Amino acid sequence: MSALLEVSGVSVSFDGFRAIDNLSFSIGPAELRAVIGPNGAGKTTFMDIITGKTRPDAGEVLWGEYSRSLLKMNEAQIARAGIGRKFQRPTVFEDQSVADNLTMALRANRNPFSVLGWRASPSSDQRVTELAAEVGLAEQVNRKAGELSHGQKQWLEIGMLLAQEPRLLLVDEPAAGMTLAEREQTTTLLRRLAETHAVVVVEHDMDFVRRLNCKVTVLHQGSVLAEGSLDHVTRNPQVIEVYLGR
Amino acid sequence: MTRKPFILRNPSVLLMLAVLAVFTAAVTLMSQAYGSGAVPTSMVKVLGKTLCLALAAVAMDLVWGYIGILSLGQMAFFALGGYMIGQWLMYARTEAIVAASLAQAPIPPTPLELQEATASQIFGVVGSSDLPMVWSFAHSLPLQLLLVVAVPGLLALVFGWLAFRSRVNGVYLSILTQAMTLALALWLFQNDSGFRGNNGLSGLQNIPGLDGVSQARLSIWFLWASAAALGLGYVLIAWLVGGKFGSVIRAIRDDETRVRFLGYPVEGFKLVVFTLAAMITAVAGALYYPQAGIINPAELAPIASIYLAVWVAIGGRGRLYGAVIGAVFVSLLSSWFTGGRAPDLALPGYVVKWVDWWQVALGLSFVLVTLFAPRGIAGFFDLFTRRKESGS
Repeated sequence: MSALLEVSGVSVSFDGFRAIDNLSFSIGPAELRAVIGPNGAGKTTFMDIITGKTRPDAGEVLWGEYSRSLLKMNEAQIARAGIGRKFQRPTVFEDQSVADNLTMALRANRNPFSVLGWRASPSSDQRVTELAAEVGLAEQVNRKAGELSHGQKQWLEIGMLLAQEPRLLLVDEPAAGMTLAEREQTTTLLRRLAETHAVVVVEHDMDFVRRLNCKVTVLHQGSVLAEGSLDHVTRNPQVIEVYLGR
Repeated sequence: MTRKPFILRNPSVLLMLAVLAVFTAAVTLMSQAYGSGAVPTSMVKVLGKTLCLALAAVAMDLVWGYIGILSLGQMAFFALGGYMIGQWLMYARTEAIVAASLAQAPIPPTPLELQEATASQIFGVVGSSDLPMVWSFAHSLPLQLLLVVAVPGLLALVFGWLAFRSRVNGVYLSILTQAMTLALALWLFQNDSGFRGNNGLSGLQNIPGLDGVSQARLSIWFLWASAAALGLGYVLIAWLVGGKFGSVIRAIRDDETRVRFLGYPVEGFKLVVFTLAAMITAVAGALYYPQAGIINPAELAPIASIYLAVWVAIGGRGRLYGAVIGAVFVSLLSSWFTGGRAPDLALPGYVVKWVDWWQVALGLSFVLVTLFAPRGIAGFFDLFTRRKESGS
């Protein structure tokens, strides 16, 4: 199985501080991966590099069957290429309705003139309704996103991520601020998505990672410390020292 | 999610058009040319100009209230529109006068002689008698009308492309737009800019070919044209911000980084909005200056663009009727207070002369609105009708 995303030898420094140090990572087209690590391990910077927010000083990020370099693309182009990101802090457009938020995220031509000519169709309405139902917001479709609870905003953002129909989903701390039942739901959803998509979950919560039951990459000081099943990495003495031992 | 026609989904658009129609009809029926004469021609001109300013304010609201670019250089586009139409007005009228005076000559003038005589009439005031290159199209109304939208549009496109591509945002972008209008004004102030320096273009109220039509009639015609332009511009912008495009640009205003991660080319959207708004503003300017009669580089002073932002803020940004209310209300109030007709306010120990103090009062009310009523005058409507949807 060839990799969907291949990150190799990537380094980036901010004012002399090495946030990412010779990091390599790869994920297949249908795979679930958890990325864990202590604060400051470079998890968010890692996502910033993939999504084009941060340019690395060295290294290579290759995408898809034709191994296109993501480093030559801007954020919007990378998103259109099929990489979706869910932020740690839920960022939805609070001033607009749930339906508007989802409609904006729906896969469609993003060119300004195409957007001008875009008209809602029965199929787009149906898609929005389906997505809202899938993330449990069927009753809230016409409410403003700003009126939703923290957990519901998280769900809306997941709905927006699904609406984009990305091939790779980067999910930053999906369980933050969710109730136990919602966490269960999130786990089920992520696992189901990983049957057809590449899913990278950045998470602090070890219980949540255990429930995902997938390969784990441990980051420390900007590089990969260990990789394998959760049981495998938790037995690694270095991992215990830097992360679990605390 | 039911789909109704655009107008039915936006009752405020229908209301605005109705108010505009009633207003225009009422002024016409009270005008000197077509009605009772209760409204003098000078007042008709003030009202017509106010409608043009309202159109500029609606375009400003699109740029500031919807996509979040606080442009403090919008009046550069407004004045450029005025200059472009002014070139034709001045050239064609001067040419007609020169032709009439040369008609008595024993040998009829050649087209080149006519052009040279016209040029020396127009540019004698800046010590030149050559027609500058920028006046190449001044003989043709259709070409100058094209330039009314093309020149400001191109300026906005180039300026916007440079600024947005470098991701200049917030207050830095505002300062850049101020610098743009200031630079343009300083250039126009020069005698060799080709636009008659600080003299500007004058006599614009006389429309070539319409010598037989009185100013009373012309003023009403321009009122109609200004009302039509405001109506069309309002509907166009309301349609623009009503659909998915509006949804995306409001999202850019609130969190442009997030919109990028949704795959939208944020810079492209800003460029489309900024350029379109510049062209609409230019049309408003092209209708304004024939009613004002004169245009000079002082019209591009940074303060003019700041006023426009103040009107939109006081009216209520992020909704188009707010911009109209703000422009009409504040600009009419301004001309009343600064016109010397407002009675002085006698305080114990000091007499407030409004001509001097109006600016202070306006500045103060801007601060108060920003602090206590961020939704502006339009926000008071919310007290009566609870808004269920945003941005319509």
